[in-house]
Amino acid sequence: MKNLLKKEVHLTMHPTAILFLFLSVLLIVPNYPYYVTFFYTGLAVFFTCLNGRENNDVFFTMTMPVAKKDVIKARFTLVVILELLQMLIAVPFAIIRQNMGIPGNAVGMDANIALFGLSFVMLGIFNVVFFGIYYKDVKKVGKPFAVSSIVIFIYICIAEACAHIVPFVRDRLDTSDNIYVTEKLIVLIAGILIYAVMNVYIYKKSKKNFEIYDI
Amino acid sequence: MNVLEVKSLCKNYKDFSLKNVNFSLEQGKITGFIGRNGAGKTTTLKSLLNFVNPTSGEVIFFNKSFKENEFEIKQRIAFLLGGVNYYLNKKLKTITNVTKSFYQNWDNNTYKKYMKQFDLDENKTPAQLSEGMKVKYSLTLALSHNAEILILDEPTSGLDPVSRDEILEILMNLADKGITVLFSTHITSDLEKCADNIIYIKNGKIIAEDSIESFTNSYKVIEFEDNIINEDLKNKIIGLKRAKKGYTGLIKAEDKPLFNCACTKAVLEDIMVHIEKEIL
Repeated sequence: MKNLLKKEVHLTMHPTAILFLFLSVLLIVPNYPYYVTFFYTGLAVFFTCLNGRENNDVFFTMTMPVAKKDVIKARFTLVVILELLQMLIAVPFAIIRQNMGIPGNAVGMDANIALFGLSFVMLGIFNVVFFGIYYKDVKKVGKPFAVSSIVIFIYICIAEACAHIVPFVRDRLDTSDNIYVTEKLIVLIAGILIYAVMNVYIYKKSKKNFEIYDI
Repeated sequence: MNVLEVKSLCKNYKDFSLKNVNFSLEQGKITGFIGRNGAGKTTTLKSLLNFVNPTSGEVIFFNKSFKENEFEIKQRIAFLLGGVNYYLNKKLKTITNVTKSFYQNWDNNTYKKYMKQFDLDENKTPAQLSEGMKVKYSLTLALSHNAEILILDEPTSGLDPVSRDEILEILMNLADKGITVLFSTHITSDLEKCADNIIYIKNGKIIAEDSIESFTNSYKVIEFEDNIINEDLKNKIIGLKRAKKGYTGLIKAEDKPLFNCACTKAVLEDIMVHIEKEIL
């Protein structure tokens, strides 16, 4: 598994994946749809899968002494690491944003604990949609990205709209972290759990799809 | 000793199927796998390593089922699809560095030896290598993990005659050291220079598995200027076709006394061309 991850990082991962991690800094932009910040990892996943396809990665990997299911495991591990790093790097910027002494985000959700929870759900949905299509035919990378991007766009629109019109979200979740911490922590924990469940589900499904896929 | 046995391998696609493919490979021999484009050579090779899922059948390497011993078997074999067709813009040293981490038996000295022998520069990328050098790099990686079986899909296609000859010489030297080679190609003259055995696939079905000598000796090529051979004899001609002067056909060697015309030794290309013509 270590060798497969080494292969993912040294050969397959697109260099922009690292660059996108640092776009977590967007959380200090005073007014911005902060969910988009976390979607950049989705773009990195797309570029990485595209890079793999253009370089015959699946063929190269399958000639190595590895089983098909481990190829999936390595890709998911890389993706989850990238997504978690994006979240982790975003934390200090969220704290900076909250302490800037200016009003909250006028676009939608503030850079707070609940945003992270809801972004975990968003990344979970992205993984389910993207990999659900991708591992049916790894030669087609555009379709899974197009479909997952549309789904995520809709998710962001709904989530940001809720921050304006749903009273619970607007008055409790879309606030500074010094109030309603319990509610926000519940959203964060629920978000992480949903993200984990969705990843386990799509990992198992991808394994099944890839097992019957002819390279 | 057989190092690979393929039993009743079938794979069904919508418009093509591998039909009950059976063959075996002897240790230390070079076996040529021939057939025209689309005959099923690559599908067969990919099925051996589970790249494609066979509909049925069994693949046994070193007396062990591939399905149950995939990891161990892949440590002992190498599959080369042409030369290097992956990560063309990465440096060879990066590809090597990743590759070696997969193999328990990786031997750095062997790697260095072959890189030097083949005059390969680690700082180059596959895109900067000629087609012949790409094959040599692939072979270097395979030999550095002590692969006992090399499965090569069209390794000499697209190479100039000198590079092809070089690759064939390398393969013969490897076979002398006990390495088994399965070599798919449609450049049949390459096989005449180096192969011991031949497997011939036509429309997804193995139609011959023999030593190359016995296979070519079992046919003769006849040539005649006009098409006046009687119907009885015509039925014995395989793939009667136009030639520059008159006609040519393939006959079974035992039928040679029946024909009173120019008769020459058949080479693999003659056999293939006439057999394909006949069935079409």
